[in-house]
Order: sequence, then structure tokens, then C-alpha cells
Amino acid sequence: MRIRPFQLCLWLGLALMAAPLARAQQNPPPDPATREAVDDDEYAVVKVYDPLEPFNRAMFKFNNGLYDYVFRPVSTGYVKVTPVKVRDGLGNFFSNLVFPIRFVSDVLQGKFKRAGLETKKFYVNTVAGLGGFIRISDGVPSIANIPGEDLGQTFGVWGIHKGPYLVLPVLGPGTARDTVGLVGDYFLNPMHWNQLQNVNGYQWWWDTTVQTTDAVNSLPGRLKLYDEQKKAALDPYVAVRSAYVQYRDAAVKR
Amino acid sequence: MRSVRLFLSFIASLTAFAAIAATQPSDPLPVLRGAVDEVLGIVYSGKAQTQPFSVLVRPILEKNFSFDLITRRAVGPGWRQFTPEQQKKTTALFTELVIRTYADRFEAGAQPGITYATPVELAPNKRELPTTIDYAGKKYSVSYRMELAADQWRVSDVIIEGVSMIKNYRDQFDPMFQRGGAAEIIRILEEKLVQVAATPVPAPAK
Repeated sequence: MRIRPFQLCLWLGLALMAAPLARAQQNPPPDPATREAVDDDEYAVVKVYDPLEPFNRAMFKFNNGLYDYVFRPVSTGYVKVTPVKVRDGLGNFFSNLVFPIRFVSDVLQGKFKRAGLETKKFYVNTVAGLGGFIRISDGVPSIANIPGEDLGQTFGVWGIHKGPYLVLPVLGPGTARDTVGLVGDYFLNPMHWNQLQNVNGYQWWWDTTVQTTDAVNSLPGRLKLYDEQKKAALDPYVAVRSAYVQYRDAAVKR
Repeated sequence: MRSVRLFLSFIASLTAFAAIAATQPSDPLPVLRGAVDEVLGIVYSGKAQTQPFSVLVRPILEKNFSFDLITRRAVGPGWRQFTPEQQKKTTALFTELVIRTYADRFEAGAQPGITYATPVELAPNKRELPTTIDYAGKKYSVSYRMELAADQWRVSDVIIEGVSMIKNYRDQFDPMFQRGGAAEIIRILEEKLVQVAATPVPAPAK
């Protein structure tokens, strides 16, 4: 049988068309029921250990009141009198200052390369960024996005269970493990090292002013997050608990 | 004459191949980029907006988000016990809630900077698209799950700093369903939407 060039091209064309179809048949998209079954596993409800739920709900309500009637007026006033660049600069400064928490946590987790990058970032921002007020590291790809670490995450990496869910007054959601981590972070925070006492003319209120500035400066961001969560939530207590547990689980895995 | 016919038939077969290839998009990143750019274009266009953001961004979100799938997964296994009417109503109410709360997140100020990382293939028809959002001096990790269905990539979940939107709602819907079934979920969604409508909408970006 003699094959004409026209027929040859036709067969070639059909073969080319058939290839993707055959590939599609090898990997057929799962039917909706199968897909749902798979995803049910992925998004399955994992019961959060919350034996203190009545106490936690009371604390959650107390914190809501605190946010709305104490923190919000303070935050609104602060935003009005403080330019956004100053607020951003202060945020960068305090974030740079708590470098020891990140560094020690990296080392304790055996993430030595990340600890080195954190050190580089601290020096770059402190030296070139006017003591940390300007986040110069954003322009350096290798140190622009280093995942933050703390002692609570370190305990998680070590395999310590998160323990019962806890809502603390003022501080908000947490777990037993993260609360212990928070105590350790407190001592690793240079703001609590009483270094200002070595400065001539030290007054007791210097430390208080620094710590209050840090707390107040972080308020607008915290309140925005709180408002967004509250607005989207159908059951705010469960929504915040779920978000906290997912957030911390993801942080431990990073 | 023979060579002309040969050439024409070869071109015809290539065109047919290209047409088939075009109906099987393999990269969801341009779809996501396009949708995000469209939303940011509306919010930060600098023009005075006469309508709320939720109205303006609705067509973009409805086109690019798989709200049917998102609602079904957010409700979970209980979805099978919903009647078709309850499923339809829940999807409509939940879609409305997601669009309203998403749109209300935008406020006046600087436009956020978005960096897109390389998509991760989770399955042949499923990708995770990690992004970093730089907003108000802070960086946030936001990943979009996208799924291919009927030749279109659409968002099926948004994971902000490790928190999945679907999982967060599933955790809330589950006790509601245990308590009062589909009717309870619909009642709470309706109540929530009344509450959302009553809260002031942030001023558009200028």
C-alpha cells in the first residue's frame, strides 16, 4: 500500500492530537465524590485539647472587653499622633532587638545555617539600618524572609506535646507549651536585661517607657488582626482557637 | 501542487494540536496573578469609588474562586445530609460572607507588595501557589490552593500564615452541624450576614 504525503500528514496530525488525550486518560480527574472523600481527610476536624474551656471562654470575653474599651482608644490615639513611618521604624527596631530569641531557638533546634542568617540580618539591620529602625535586610534576598523562631516552637520541634489550650488575660490564646516558651522568651529579650541601668542618669521609668512603647506600637496591627478575625468568624472563640493551633503547628514545621 | 497540499495539511494538523493544547492549561500562576492584579487595580486605582469593594470585586472572585467546592469542604461530611435546597442556600450565604469579609480587609493606604514563588504540584489537577505579601511594614505568607476543573484553574483554599480558611470554617461548622444540622448552619450564616451588613465598611483607598 502506497501512503501519500497528504495521508502521512493526516496521521501525524491525529497522532499529535491523540497524545494529550491519552495522557488525560492516564490521569483522569477524580470524580467529585472521590475528591470530597480525600479532602475530608485533609480538612478533618482535629479535636483541640481544651479541658479549661469554661475558663478560657471567660478569659476570651474579658480580653474582648479589654481590646474594645482599653486598647482600642489607646491605639486610635497613638495612630493619630504617630506618623506611619515612625510606627514602622519602631516596629522594625523592636523586632530587630529580639534577635536573641530567634538565634537561641534556631541553635536549640539545630538550625545552624538559619542561626547564621539571623546573625547576618541582625548586623545588617543594626549597622546599616540605623540601629534596626530601617529593615535593610528586605533588599538582601538571602536574609529577606527568614522564618521567625521562638522557644515554644523549639519545644514543638523537640516533640513536646502542646498541652491544654489556654487563653491568658491580656496575652490571648496559647497552649501550656507556648506559655512556658513565652517565659523563656521573656528572659531572652534584651528589653528585660536591665541594660539601661548602666547608663549614667538612669531613671526607673526608662525601662517602663521602652516596654510600653513596644506594647503600644504593636497594638494597631494586633487590633486589625483581631477585627478581621472577629468579622469573619461565626463562632469567634472556636475560630481563634483553630487559627492559633494551625498557625503554631505550621510555625513548628517551618 | 503536491507540496502545497502537503504543507497545508501539516499546518492544519499543527493548528488542531495547538487548539487541544490550549484547552488544557497547565499553569495556574497567570490566572492567580491576573485575578490579584484585577482586584488591586480596583482597590488602589486612585479613583473615587461609588460602590463598596465587595460589589466591585464580586465578579472577579466569583470567576476565580470555586465557591461550591469551598463551601462543601468547609461544611465537611455533613454536607451529604443537606437537601439540594439547603446546599444551594448555604453556598450562597457562605459565598456572600467570604466576599464581604475579604473585600473589607482592604483599606486606604499603601498598596501591598506581592511576591510569587514557584507553584508546588500537589496532584495533577491541584497546585499550591505560595506568595509573600508585604503590607504596612510586615510580611505575611499567603498560599493559594488552586484546582483544575472544566479546563479552568480556580482557587479552592487560601492559607494565611499556615491557617487554612476551609479548615478554620470546618472547625466552626462542625459543632453547629452536630447541634442542629443544616438548619443551624443556615441560621447562623444568616445572622452573621445581618451583623456584617450593619458594621461600617472601611473607606476606599485614595
